[in-house]
Amino acid sequence: MILVWLAEAALFVLIVAGILAERPLTLAAVALAIVIAGALLRLVTPLRSTLARAFGRHRTAALLGGAALALVLPVTLRSSPYWTFVATLALLYVTTGQGLNLQIGTAGVINLAGAAFAGLGGYSVGLLTVKTGWPPWLAAAVAPWVAVAVGTLLFVPILKTRGHYLALVTIAFVFIFNILMNNLEFTGGPQGIKNIPTLRLGGHAFTARLTLFGVDLPAHANFYYAALATAGLTTWILGRLHDSWLGLALNTLRDDEIAARCCGVSLTREKLIAFSIGNFFIGLGGALYAVMVGFVSPPDFDFGYSLIMLSVIIIGGVDSIGGVVLGACLLLPLPERFRFLHEYRLLLYGLVIVVMLLYRPRGLWPAGIRGYR
Amino acid sequence: MPPLELLLQQTLNGVMLGMMYALVAVGFTLFFGVLDVIHFSHGDIFMLGAFAGLSALLALAAVGLRTPFVTLPLAFIAAMVVTGLVGVMAERVCVKPLARSAPLMTLLATLSLGLVLRESVLIFYPRGADPKPFPQLLPAGGFEVGGVAIRYENLAILGIGLAAMVAVDLIISRTKMGAAVRAVAQDPEAAQMMGVNLDRTVDATFFLGSALAAVAGMLSGFYYGEIHFIMGITGGVIGFSAAAIGGLGNVYGAMVGGLLFGLLQTTAAAFIPRGSEFRDVVAFAVVMLFLIFKPSGILGEKSVERV
Repeated sequence: MILVWLAEAALFVLIVAGILAERPLTLAAVALAIVIAGALLRLVTPLRSTLARAFGRHRTAALLGGAALALVLPVTLRSSPYWTFVATLALLYVTTGQGLNLQIGTAGVINLAGAAFAGLGGYSVGLLTVKTGWPPWLAAAVAPWVAVAVGTLLFVPILKTRGHYLALVTIAFVFIFNILMNNLEFTGGPQGIKNIPTLRLGGHAFTARLTLFGVDLPAHANFYYAALATAGLTTWILGRLHDSWLGLALNTLRDDEIAARCCGVSLTREKLIAFSIGNFFIGLGGALYAVMVGFVSPPDFDFGYSLIMLSVIIIGGVDSIGGVVLGACLLLPLPERFRFLHEYRLLLYGLVIVVMLLYRPRGLWPAGIRGYR
Repeated sequence: MPPLELLLQQTLNGVMLGMMYALVAVGFTLFFGVLDVIHFSHGDIFMLGAFAGLSALLALAAVGLRTPFVTLPLAFIAAMVVTGLVGVMAERVCVKPLARSAPLMTLLATLSLGLVLRESVLIFYPRGADPKPFPQLLPAGGFEVGGVAIRYENLAILGIGLAAMVAVDLIISRTKMGAAVRAVAQDPEAAQMMGVNLDRTVDATFFLGSALAAVAGMLSGFYYGEIHFIMGITGGVIGFSAAAIGGLGNVYGAMVGGLLFGLLQTTAAAFIPRGSEFRDVVAFAVVMLFLIFKPSGILGEKSVERV
């Protein structure tokens, strides 16, 4: 148990050091430490197997340790509101990623319109708060249902068709959504919707600085904790779903539709369930984004973001709950850290995805084989 | 009832647009027929063809050749060859190796490859983010027939597009390679047993499809007067939609689908209020309806799987 916590703490220290290191000497030292740690894990097999056994035996302790470290992260990052923001964004991508993973990874329903459904959530929050004066928390609670409703209405007829047609329809939908948001007046046109009020919890506005146990944290820390709670809840819910009979049915229908049908799995119903649940969480991510950033505009939800959400899942691991978390935590901060590569960001994403699909199609943290105790 | 001239004018425009879409759609349908894959980066190959053509034209102008009679064919050939080779490379790298695994993998891989192509042009072409003007080499001027203005440029585009489609038809139906393509599309194993070299046939198909996309790209450059690195996204989606409407796997279906899509766009732009902003929405909405009610397309898909 101690070993698990030590390992997690070591990883945490390395990550935070990697994020915050500024001077070339510290940077080099951290890089060296990461390389050494990686090499040790790769080459020293007894170390790897001991760690694997320890993590397997003490799962709850590992989860608690991870949760504690995640709670402490903003404290360590308090000198940099920017990185707190990046961390929050990564957590939002975990939320949307889990939803998208349910659709693409678990159920095999190819949804390339992730950005559009997130946009539906975000724009719903914007419209409900700015145009009709709803309180933000209510708008954020209702907005994901808009995404679900639109998804269901539009795609019930399509779900019966073959995979690549569904992909085409979702791509068409992203474009339609983008054009509509850009051209309709009530959605604000190219400017989008501004001045979305921020969340308030019991009088504490989320844009005010937060003081926790005497430590003064930047304002973004509020949203970090909200996003952390949401991401944690989403991962837990979808993790349980994945392990349930529903997840098993979805996997069956992904792998072989004819066999699934023969086993009594109703194709359209199960696909619709997966699609709707996934859309809920994607819309939730979009809604939280709207509340956090304070405005939504059409370029925030275009096809490029669909591809980023997709890469989170592929790089992390298709149909893997842990993989999505890993993918989001890698794919969001790394480009920010390596700012000099910012111009080449999308190019590198594309190359990495192609390479991963050719050589490691199951991702960096593959979904394990189902075990039934 | 809108005036007849407007109707005819828009029909002409629609046919021209449709010609270009059809050329891209034929590529999609050929790839689906041969390998059973949707090659999502085909739209970006179309964009690459346009840029290759532009580069060729600029290079020829720099060398001093400016007569359209000479530069046009040269540029077309150069663009077709370069784009065809890139298409073959794309196939070798990420379509063929994944053809046996789940369709999702090929979809994602080709989508990402398209992203790589797009970003490469953005990053490596000088000032890639700006739309690039395309030299107006087609004959200017025009004439009027019954109130409809017909420009020589439009006729040239129509002519070149038509020539390309006729060439494709001849290749597919009259040559040995065309027969090999059709055989592989019907049954890859049986074709191999008949002595068809599968790898070479697939390479040839991708070369042909990509070369066609290059022609479409250059025509698009002449039509709009400019090219932009993001033209591949919409071009690819439209091409795929057109191929799907016409029936995936059916070359004539792709041509019909392309023409239909072009006509849809122009009629929507002309006859629906605020149509020009929403013409893509209308066209895609129609495509979605098509896929809901007749997913096998107008002329029928190559295979039907029912449970």
